[in-house]
Amino acid sequence: MYQQFFVFGAAFLGSAVESTEALTIVLAVGLTRGWRAPLLGTVAALVALAVLVVFFGQLIVSRVPESSLKLLVGTLLLLFGLRWLHKAVLRSAGVVQKHDEERAYRQTVTELGAATERQDWVGFVLALKGVFLEGLEVVFIVIAVGGTGHGLAVAVAGGLLAMVVVAGAGVAVRRPLARVPENTLKYAVGVILTSLGTFWAAEGMGAAWPADFVSILVLIAVYFVASRLAVSLVRRPQPA
Amino acid sequence: MRIARSAISEVVGLFVADWVQSVVIVAILAAGWFAVNRLGAAALAGLVLLLAGQMVWFARAEARRAAR
Repeated sequence: MYQQFFVFGAAFLGSAVESTEALTIVLAVGLTRGWRAPLLGTVAALVALAVLVVFFGQLIVSRVPESSLKLLVGTLLLLFGLRWLHKAVLRSAGVVQKHDEERAYRQTVTELGAATERQDWVGFVLALKGVFLEGLEVVFIVIAVGGTGHGLAVAVAGGLLAMVVVAGAGVAVRRPLARVPENTLKYAVGVILTSLGTFWAAEGMGAAWPADFVSILVLIAVYFVASRLAVSLVRRPQPA
Repeated sequence: MRIARSAISEVVGLFVADWVQSVVIVAILAAGWFAVNRLGAAALAGLVLLLAGQMVWFARAEARRAAR
């Protein structure tokens, strides 16, 4: 039960962050050059991502022995989660600029001209590449947490639900979702994935955690406190 | 060839931002594996503290680099 909760939460939050970034690209292309090509690019990217989830998800669940899977996926999750957490710490401390959807949107619009051809390959490729690259991280999160935590369906549901919510919000407001607290979400996902990665990597080594899944809560607390310590040690004054 | 190289670098980039930090994390896990097999669950606390500690260390190191 606990495990499924973390699996769903990690997939939902991770997908929400990446879907928001992908939406900014699709909106920038669609509002500048027309909707047909970017929507086709988005659909093509989503199909490719779905194929990856089904293929690798099934492969992992059915072929890899559980202890090896936990060690391998735990290590990869740890590397992936710590990378997100590291960036989130530096952004919270003001060392690195926070991700700004309005700025990303303006930058993409500036790079694009209006479409002149009926078949707009630039719009198609930009949307395809944007959605596929942002989605690749979601695919990894879904397969890693779902495959290892015996909850692939739960993870897929979490990822899809976030995508639908973000896409719905995008259709409703027709502008980048600048008010989504992306950096905070990325921070939270970084802490959760790092904790799950540590938990599974250690289980893959043959260790048994005291209190089993409840230990994940302790891990979350430890990594959160460590990250806040890092933020306070490297904090810079914010520009006025 | 260029597409394959760019695809590989995208996938590696999902896990590795700083090669030194990644090597340190893998080394901590390898040491943790050894310690867990010898000491059991008692080694887990050390493993977690080392992983949390390296995160603080590398964040400070990058902040110092950025300040220069």
